[in-house]
Amino acid sequence: MEQATPDPERQLQPAPLEPLGRSDAGLGVTVDEEAERAREEGSGGDTMTHNNFWLKKIEISVSEAEKRTGRNAMNMQETYTAYLIETRSVEHTDGQSVLTDSLWRRYSEFELLRNYLLVYYPHIVVPPLPEKRAEFVWHKLSADNMDPDFVERRRIGLENFLLRIASHPILCRDKIFYLFLTQEGNWKETVNETGFQLKADSRLKALNATFRVKNPDKRFTDLKHYSDELQSVISHLLRVRARVADRLYGVYKVHGNYGRVFSEWSAIEKEMGDGLQSAGHHMDVYASSIDDILEDEEHYADQLKEYLFYAEALRAVCRKHELMQYDLEIAAQDLASKKQQCEELATGTVRTFSLKGMTTKLFGQETPEQREARIKVLEEQINEGEQQLKSKNLEGREFVKNAWADIERFKEQKNRDLKEALISYAVMQISMCKKLSGLHLVWTNSYLCFSAL
Amino acid sequence: MAGGPPKALPSTGPHSLRDMPHPLAGSSSEEAVGGDSTPSPDLLMARSFGDKDLILPNGGTPAGTSSPASSSSLLNRLQLDDDIDGETRDLFVVVDDPKKHVCTMETYITYRITTKSTRVEFDLPEYSVRRRYQDFDWLRSKLEESQPTHLIPPLPEKFVVKGVVDRFSEEFVETRRKALDKFLKRITDHPVLSFNEHFNIFLTAKDLNIYKKQGIALLTRMGESVKHVTGGYKLRTRPLEFAAIGDYLDTFALKLGTIDRIAQRIIKEEIEYLVELREYGPVYSTWSALEGELAEPLEGVSACIGNCSTALEELTDDMTEDFLPVLREYILYSDSMKSVLKKRDQVQAEYEAKLEAVALRKEDRPKVPADVEKCQDRMECFNADLKADMERWQNNKRQDFRQLLMGMADKNIQYYEKCLMAWESIIPLLQEKQEAK
Repeated sequence: MEQATPDPERQLQPAPLEPLGRSDAGLGVTVDEEAERAREEGSGGDTMTHNNFWLKKIEISVSEAEKRTGRNAMNMQETYTAYLIETRSVEHTDGQSVLTDSLWRRYSEFELLRNYLLVYYPHIVVPPLPEKRAEFVWHKLSADNMDPDFVERRRIGLENFLLRIASHPILCRDKIFYLFLTQEGNWKETVNETGFQLKADSRLKALNATFRVKNPDKRFTDLKHYSDELQSVISHLLRVRARVADRLYGVYKVHGNYGRVFSEWSAIEKEMGDGLQSAGHHMDVYASSIDDILEDEEHYADQLKEYLFYAEALRAVCRKHELMQYDLEIAAQDLASKKQQCEELATGTVRTFSLKGMTTKLFGQETPEQREARIKVLEEQINEGEQQLKSKNLEGREFVKNAWADIERFKEQKNRDLKEALISYAVMQISMCKKLSGLHLVWTNSYLCFSAL
Repeated sequence: MAGGPPKALPSTGPHSLRDMPHPLAGSSSEEAVGGDSTPSPDLLMARSFGDKDLILPNGGTPAGTSSPASSSSLLNRLQLDDDIDGETRDLFVVVDDPKKHVCTMETYITYRITTKSTRVEFDLPEYSVRRRYQDFDWLRSKLEESQPTHLIPPLPEKFVVKGVVDRFSEEFVETRRKALDKFLKRITDHPVLSFNEHFNIFLTAKDLNIYKKQGIALLTRMGESVKHVTGGYKLRTRPLEFAAIGDYLDTFALKLGTIDRIAQRIIKEEIEYLVELREYGPVYSTWSALEGELAEPLEGVSACIGNCSTALEELTDDMTEDFLPVLREYILYSDSMKSVLKKRDQVQAEYEAKLEAVALRKEDRPKVPADVEKCQDRMECFNADLKADMERWQNNKRQDFRQLLMGMADKNIQYYEKCLMAWESIIPLLQEKQEAK
């Protein structure tokens, strides 16, 4: 399989990984910090042994988003968002970071990078991009790509994408990736010059392969099945979550209506007045608290979405295996048939159908010289075929070995990340419950104080 | 609100009045744990922010309370202070034990009314009778008739929309029972109404129907008097204080109506939210079946969401059963009070008209004829009774709403605590095996 040749000057050490996880631990739950540190160092540690001639650590961030207008390919004016990518190198000794590169990229360039990686690293589960269009929206969120909340979440998603690549032991060494971070102009041309589009497997071929592979590696079949199920269940989860968010929003907002009527009621009361006024005020605070709650939940949804899209990447690797296996089987079949033909020609028995055979029957026997010639051609083809089969076999086995290694790496990553996502979701819920319970308690106490005893 | 027989009463918390140490008593009682006058930690500190204003004269937790200190139990202690007030109670009434009766002609529910009293008006110290809704209705109209100058508490609504509410469902019967219990307790608390003959008969008679049939006229002097007030006179101006009451009641009923509508809307939204939650939780279970290491954590989250859903359902039920009925009861109360105000107007109108008539007639001055005097007397009694009742009503209303609003806040707090517990319990589950790789 093709890999970018290691270029000592251009290689990067994996960046400290913080994919979509919140770095602030101010939510009152102590996640085991030892384990966290061990994990961070672990991923770096592995590649340390790989590339121990690197001296510097790299930090990547997508720090800003900016609305731009320009002219597109059809010379029509368009509005798009550009993202600022900043790369810093961190001195080992004092931990200070220095800005080394800074450039602007738009979403389509990220897509180009990913498509390139998909072609050149078919055995790798390539990290997914954040969604192109807002999906799984609930009523408050707009489906508009220009919406500031969407842009902000996309910025985080793109940063996460780059960090994932940078922390991948193989992908981080890719030259095109390096150039993506460092070479603003001409990058697109450079990518296209690799001719990767030509190498891409045709979609049709990939689809057909599913139905006719006789002996796929069972692990890959199971994995494909798993990725399909995972996609389905996470989609379902995100859809229902969006509906839940919608309904919850409704509940809180209706509480907002209490504020005014309690205030009006308090106006006609003597002793109860202050208590009712305070009740109305607390209802307003309660109603407005939903916005922060749901914003935090969007973050959780984004973490799930990443793995929804990862499932697609996983399936792509399985499909590649099937395609290779299919190619192999076809080649083997072809070879077997040619061998058969050869044998029949040599012995004179006709078992396999061939056009030449038919015409021979109809129009008379061929000459021994003609037969010899045909046998020779076939023998050449058989030879070639055997060579090809051997190399395809080797390729196939290499692919399976390398792909499975990355899949194992991916599985560990997935389990870690999703567990953390669930923990932070639980922590979020706990924080919300405490806040709202506290709000009611404050109201209760203030009401009791106000209502003269 | 008042105490009752030694059995547990729903509205006064886990212990009856008699079992609780009197708030004004010293700390000699066994139950006063931590005998000084600072409140026991679990009762107050766990919930309040150590607010000194809320210190009770008597510390200690009611023995055997299993639930954590809540603001409503706090509330009940405070209410004790309001109730006792120096006077001792000599009449206790409880409505409980609903039973369904199936007869050929109809099916209906009866409730047990238990009365305990040391009053001379009662031959026996204790009574237990069974009554149905129409008996309560009879009592109420008799009270209105015989005590027209007083504010008679409302009954829960007589009619239910068929098909919408099942009038034999446990929730409906329980809601009604609570309202009927409240109704009788309000009468019991009233210094005049509690001595009414009809009330006595209602509480004691073995067969109420005999009395109903006999149609015994047990009108009081006032009742008799007001009964004969002709409605033909129109009042020119309502005195300021009664006009103020009328205006207050109008706005009050209006605001409660709005709150009722908002509350209903909230319940509706909460139910729809619940429907989605009930679909949301199980998806985590489905996912869990696909996974290996993540299976337990995902299953844990699924169970957690399930628990939160159940807690929400309980909260919504509480709102429907405890919050809404009280709002509606006070709206009905305001309506009946406005009728009493109108009656008062009539009495005043008659008096003023008669007085004017006398003033126009040249004779009989300065002596005021007897019947005009009677009218004046009637009016002044009415005004006095009504003013006293209004004050009593305002006090009770304050208490009732304090209990209602604090009760709802408390229920909300309990809901959040249940959710909190559910999520906190799965954190260790989610965190485990992080190191073991």
